[in-house]
Amino acid sequence: MNNIKKNRLKDQAFKVWGIFCTLLGLVLLSIFIGNILIDGILRIDWEFVMNLPSRHAEESGIFTALMGSIWILLLTTVIALPIGIAAAIYLEEYSKKNKLSSILEVNISNLAGVPSIIYGLLGLEVFVRILEMGASVLAGSCTLALLILPIVIVSTREAIKAVPKSIRDASFAMGASKWQTVYHQLLPASFGGILTGIILALSRAVGETAPLIVIGALAYVPFAPESPMDQFSVLPIQIFNWITRPQHGFVENAAAAIIILLLITFVMNGIAVYFRNRWQKKFK
Amino acid sequence: MNLEDHREILNQSGLEMFQLVRKQLIKSKEAFLTHDSDLAEEVLHTENRVNGMDLKIDRDCERFIALHNPVAGDLRFVLALRKINFDLERIGDHAFGISSYIVEVDTPVDQEVIDKLEFEQMYEAALSMLDDIRAAYKDGNAKKARKVFKKDKVLNKINLNSFAVISAEVKKDPNLIDQYLLLFSVIKKIERVGDLITNIAEEIIFYLEAEVLKHSKKKGPSKPSK
Amino acid sequence: MSKKNKESIIESSIKRKYKLQAKDVKVWYGDFMAIKGVSMDIKANKVTAFIGPSGCGKSTFLRLFNRMNDYVDDFKMEGEINIDGKDINNKNINVELLRKQIGMVFQKPNPFPKSIFENVAYGLQIQGLKDKKFLQERVESSLKQVALWDEVKDDLNKSALALSGGQQQRLCIARTLAVEPSIILMDEPTSALDPISTAKIEELIYKLKDKYTIVIVTHNMQQASRISDTTAFFYLGEIIEYDKTNKIFTNPEKQQTENYITGRFG
Repeated sequence: MNNIKKNRLKDQAFKVWGIFCTLLGLVLLSIFIGNILIDGILRIDWEFVMNLPSRHAEESGIFTALMGSIWILLLTTVIALPIGIAAAIYLEEYSKKNKLSSILEVNISNLAGVPSIIYGLLGLEVFVRILEMGASVLAGSCTLALLILPIVIVSTREAIKAVPKSIRDASFAMGASKWQTVYHQLLPASFGGILTGIILALSRAVGETAPLIVIGALAYVPFAPESPMDQFSVLPIQIFNWITRPQHGFVENAAAAIIILLLITFVMNGIAVYFRNRWQKKFK
Repeated sequence: MNLEDHREILNQSGLEMFQLVRKQLIKSKEAFLTHDSDLAEEVLHTENRVNGMDLKIDRDCERFIALHNPVAGDLRFVLALRKINFDLERIGDHAFGISSYIVEVDTPVDQEVIDKLEFEQMYEAALSMLDDIRAAYKDGNAKKARKVFKKDKVLNKINLNSFAVISAEVKKDPNLIDQYLLLFSVIKKIERVGDLITNIAEEIIFYLEAEVLKHSKKKGPSKPSK
Repeated sequence: MSKKNKESIIESSIKRKYKLQAKDVKVWYGDFMAIKGVSMDIKANKVTAFIGPSGCGKSTFLRLFNRMNDYVDDFKMEGEINIDGKDINNKNINVELLRKQIGMVFQKPNPFPKSIFENVAYGLQIQGLKDKKFLQERVESSLKQVALWDEVKDDLNKSALALSGGQQQRLCIARTLAVEPSIILMDEPTSALDPISTAKIEELIYKLKDKYTIVIVTHNMQQASRISDTTAFFYLGEIIEYDKTNKIFTNPEKQQTENYITGRFG
């Protein structure tokens, strides 16, 4: 067989293998989602969303867990966003590019890979005990904020880095200060990228279970949080709790809750993708 | 084609034109002094070649400017060449004119008349000026070009003197008037040739030194060449 | 009056006569010496062109005048750069204020990813000028100066990135004109443009000469010969020759200059 034919064969072979790999992931995911849908879709109704959890499966609902998740999400955003963006701006635009800053950079990326339960332990010691926040929404948010901070910093930096140098040059040449350039040019231009990064970080946070368990989020919470200092639960914990119950009704509940959680995750990711596409178009 | 090659071709064309015209002038002198009408006919026929060369150089210069956008030395070269070409063609015309006299006017000239008017000296001087200027062009030597200004004075002197000489000699022997008139016309032509050669010298100096000597009294070098 | 006073008065009047001055300027990027002792005086309301092979220090030298090299790591400089007689590297100088008086146009058009109006008004906005009417007037007059007004007046809110390359570059010029600088520095402003856009911008430069002092770095020698009054030939970090453009292109003093402009090298 000559070279041309060999190459064509290799081409085809890889094509087939590629399709197989792609489909493998998709097929498994669809099977999983399909299973869940079969188990849980019928359980979802307005009562399910609004009910408090109870010992009886038919009367149980996700209201408290859902509210807890939303509280956590919002508060984490409020804490992580300003700190993360400010840190990223400082590192990218203000700090001198020397050995110290490169060590810093490596460490920030490392932090993103630290197992989340370690953050949980840290949060327990610092926020819950030392700062005496107790097992509150605030403590949980602070902990998760720390968790997603490296992600926010890295993706914000990437977004800012992606703004062409020519824009900076033009702004400086007109006599703008560094802050004016950041505020008027770099942030607006990298907005889409920053937003994408934040949404992706948050969609990870919404699914975190281990650190919240460690700091003391409860499995059985009969009330929705009304202030940052209240105790709370979140969807993943509620799901975990239901799965451990033997009654079949709770399996349905868990499946239904999983569907809701997946829905939230998909919607958030969808928004992130939408914004990323719009942002990329800006520079064309 | 690239600029350097094109310029070299133009340069060679210039040299060819110099050669052509020099031969024309030499032949005309020979023909006149020996009253050789065959030689004169040769000169008349060669005039076509001279004209053809003139047109060719003109056209090539235009092309050179259009295609290469020359500046500095290259630009001065092509501008000078155009004018040198024009002046050489005029010199050729005068050679043609001198030869025409031989063919159309059947008046042989006595040696005595020739000597009285210093005709041969004048023609020799003109030819040597042409040699100088050709060497100056070929070697890119402004000093050689400057030599001709002094020699031109010889031509001017002989030309001016001719009035007095002719006036005196014709009064002595009115029959010689035909010969003197003929010689006078040729002397005028040679004087014009001298002027044209000094023009060419000015152009060569302009090209080499970027100094414009046209219409100026001072002909010596005012600053050293690069 | 003491001799010293007299001398310094003469010196400062010479300084004032020249809009831009460089005195024995040396520039290093780390160990590499980019500019090896350059002095030059540039008069006001003239177009000065810098020509020379790539990498010979033309752009670096240009950027000394608005201190844009400050942003480059390892940049080090010796010597004096004066604008209107004042040393711009003096510690007391506010760099941002300096740059507001000097406009810069770059090789690749770099409009901000904002609307046409916002682009032109940017320079005024960062100075805190907010009056809408004032901004509109300035934007209009700047766009008229660059002959872009008629083409864009119907939709100033359109994104600047939707304009063609030549229009974008004219927009960038309008942007610098809006703050009414006295000096405009141009770093190969037409090298990324087609011949027609190039011609339009050259015409613009010619018109701007009356009100501004313009320094332009260019690779295109015909451009330098077309639009500049004086030309400086840079080679390997030094100025080989600096003279009236007429002289440089008909009879330069140095053989190197002649070799470069006739295309014999570089």
